[in-house]
Amino acid sequence: MGKTKNSFKDLIQHTEFTLGAIIVLLFVVTSVCTDNFFTMYNITNLMKQCAITGVLAVAQTFIIITGGIDISGGAITGLACMVLALLQRDTNMNFWLTLVIAIVVAVFAGFVNGIIIYDFKVPAMIATLGMSTIIRGIIKIISNALTVSGLDKRILNMGNSSIFGVLPTLAVIWLIVALIIFLILKHTIFGRNLYVIGSGINVAKLSGIKVRNMFLSVYALAGLLYAVAGIMLAARVQSALPTGGEGYDMNAIAAAVIGGASLSGGRGAISGTLLGTILMVLINNAGVQFGLNTHVLEITSGILIVFSVTMDMMKNRKKA
Amino acid sequence: MRDTRDTILKIENVCKFYPGVKALNNVSFELKKGEVRALVGENGAGKSTLIKCIMGVEKPDKGRILMNYNGEWVCNSNALEAQKHGVYANYQNVNIAPDLSIAENYFLGHQPINKLGLVDWKKMFEDSKRIIDKFEMKVNPTDKIRNLPIAMQAMVTISKIAINDDIRIVIFDEPTALLENEKVEILFKFINELKQKGVSIIYVSHRLEEIMDICDSVTILKDGTYVDTKPIEEVTKDSLISMMVGREMSDIYNIRHMEPGEELLRIENFSDSKHFKNINFTLRKGEILGFVGLVGAGRSEIMRAICGVEKRLTGDIYVRGKKVNIKNPSDALKHGIGFLTEDRREDGLALILPIKTNINMNSYDMISKHGVISLKKETERAEDYSKRVNVKTPSIMQLAGNLSGGNQQKVVIAKLLCCNPDILIFDEPTVGIDIGAKEEIYKLMEKLTAQGKGIILISSYLPEVMGLADRLIVMAQGKITAQYGKEELKNLKEEDVLRKASIED
Repeated sequence: MGKTKNSFKDLIQHTEFTLGAIIVLLFVVTSVCTDNFFTMYNITNLMKQCAITGVLAVAQTFIIITGGIDISGGAITGLACMVLALLQRDTNMNFWLTLVIAIVVAVFAGFVNGIIIYDFKVPAMIATLGMSTIIRGIIKIISNALTVSGLDKRILNMGNSSIFGVLPTLAVIWLIVALIIFLILKHTIFGRNLYVIGSGINVAKLSGIKVRNMFLSVYALAGLLYAVAGIMLAARVQSALPTGGEGYDMNAIAAAVIGGASLSGGRGAISGTLLGTILMVLINNAGVQFGLNTHVLEITSGILIVFSVTMDMMKNRKKA
Repeated sequence: MRDTRDTILKIENVCKFYPGVKALNNVSFELKKGEVRALVGENGAGKSTLIKCIMGVEKPDKGRILMNYNGEWVCNSNALEAQKHGVYANYQNVNIAPDLSIAENYFLGHQPINKLGLVDWKKMFEDSKRIIDKFEMKVNPTDKIRNLPIAMQAMVTISKIAINDDIRIVIFDEPTALLENEKVEILFKFINELKQKGVSIIYVSHRLEEIMDICDSVTILKDGTYVDTKPIEEVTKDSLISMMVGREMSDIYNIRHMEPGEELLRIENFSDSKHFKNINFTLRKGEILGFVGLVGAGRSEIMRAICGVEKRLTGDIYVRGKKVNIKNPSDALKHGIGFLTEDRREDGLALILPIKTNINMNSYDMISKHGVISLKKETERAEDYSKRVNVKTPSIMQLAGNLSGGNQQKVVIAKLLCCNPDILIFDEPTVGIDIGAKEEIYKLMEKLTAQGKGIILISSYLPEVMGLADRLIVMAQGKITAQYGKEELKNLKEEDVLRKASIED
């Protein structure tokens, strides 16, 4: 008996449990109380809304685990999206090659982030803030600050297609990305070392971890995920906007933090981030169904962020 | 004989509970004015909790702590009140602002103010300089804490107390853990001075020799309960230990020594730009090689250079007679050199990660294929090694930061052992851990040398290093000034070693 009690206690201790409970509750209440929430159209839409932020949030999670932060995610996503659109509109390049180039550009941007942060010792917040501003400038130059349409049909179709008629392709991509990163974090040396770095650079160095390689790989890998998000963004918007991806990075950071990632490093999990993403999107979607003002919903999201970090802090204090 | 001095502090039936732990269970005792009282007990005996209660940082769940303030009995319910009533403490974990100067740290929270209501920097620096000189620290008030060696940082927290005018009770929590002998003397002078002024002192230390030297009386705690308070004349080191631990221990340094075998490590012509010069030594199988020196003698720096943590200018490393190239800590591990660093919280452990990850983190490649870790082996290995070094924990999923100092150190050692190194470098392995855990670590060293490993032991605590080592190297200012073999060690006196360690250029 005592054991069951304990394991239930353990369960509540988990961020995932709390988040899951809130999500289910919110889902049920909104389904019962409103007409348009639990409809095929809205649920599909909900999943699509999750997808892009979700991919960025996954990237953000492993960066936050190392004790870093990346606020250039939205900009790099926008850049990948714009590069893709320009190549597909203005050149006759092979479709796959355009994808590869968009990916290479984003990975390179992430790699440069890593160099600035590790080699030049610029705090991640500042380095990526700078990178974000630079990239926004680049996007406007290459696009003349205009919306670019004329994307390849395959991209356009992807935005509206679904698998088995229920799961939007975009959501599937999100879940696959999340699964891959989940496996990396749990099962590989690379993943485990991220946590060690986040809990202390000195410890990591003395444990023989090649910290510089890790930093560069982490930010480059984030770049790769941003490229995926950029392609998804092109598919969802059916064009590339000069402002594409704006605001996504902050939502992604929020989702990771709500999911239990600690900005001081060393803690975070993909499962939490997934639920954090869903909760963020769900609150907005449900709020709209209830006819709440979207500005009020912004306030709600803000409160949620502060609240979840407060909970986390209190939990830690109790332990210490 | 009855003590006629006034009572300044009354601790009455104090209880403090944490989830699952009775940190303090009905503790009562009194402290007299001008008394130097030692507070001893193993880690987890409740010393730190009691100090926090006295300082008003924590509230007792039951009982009360009263202080005689000018004839009135007052209760300090928070840290500010305690300070107002002249109660000060230096905490065990150096808690100072690392990016501020020494002067700013001295006056943290009560900076002197000039007529304009601005910070009076001139007065602040002058007063700080006075304290620095008093403690013979040879630093500037403007020096940043971060740039000071850790021993000097500890000295800053101690000397900080002297800045106050109205001091009534001072609590020293392990003040000498990081200090070399010369600074310990200065601390003792300070304590005596306070005592002469009628200040009462609670002195927490694991070093019983010190307690016998400077304390008037001693209070023993064990597992959160009060054991006894005795005048210092009525106790011996052994009787103290048996009261603390609940068992007799005649000589904790008495370990079995091995016959040294073949050469494991040879260091030739090691020099860096400023910490050490032309260092040569060898380490053999089954041997414990002790390194002694004052802080700044360059002992840790040599070890850090051997392991590729810091750079060196010249010098070669030979492992089992073969010259090796070590550029970073991972090379050192590959060549079988495991390094237990001085600062386990900063360099040795990932405090917010579980024991399991900590034990495995040096050597994930040994239980992985193509970068994919075998989770089963990870758990098995953590269980196995935490048992081998006897980590006391309900689960290997416990976070390293929640363990006591002794168990943390055992986790670091387990981590090193996972890589199966032949050469182990232990830099201050027993700093801030209790006698029971110390003894376990010594036994572990015995076991390791019996397996044919060689151990380099750096310790600032002479009885420890002289008691354990097979051979002793003394350093001063970056150079080796003396070496003692097994036979010489038997009749060696601490004074002789100290003299060699304080040779000036």
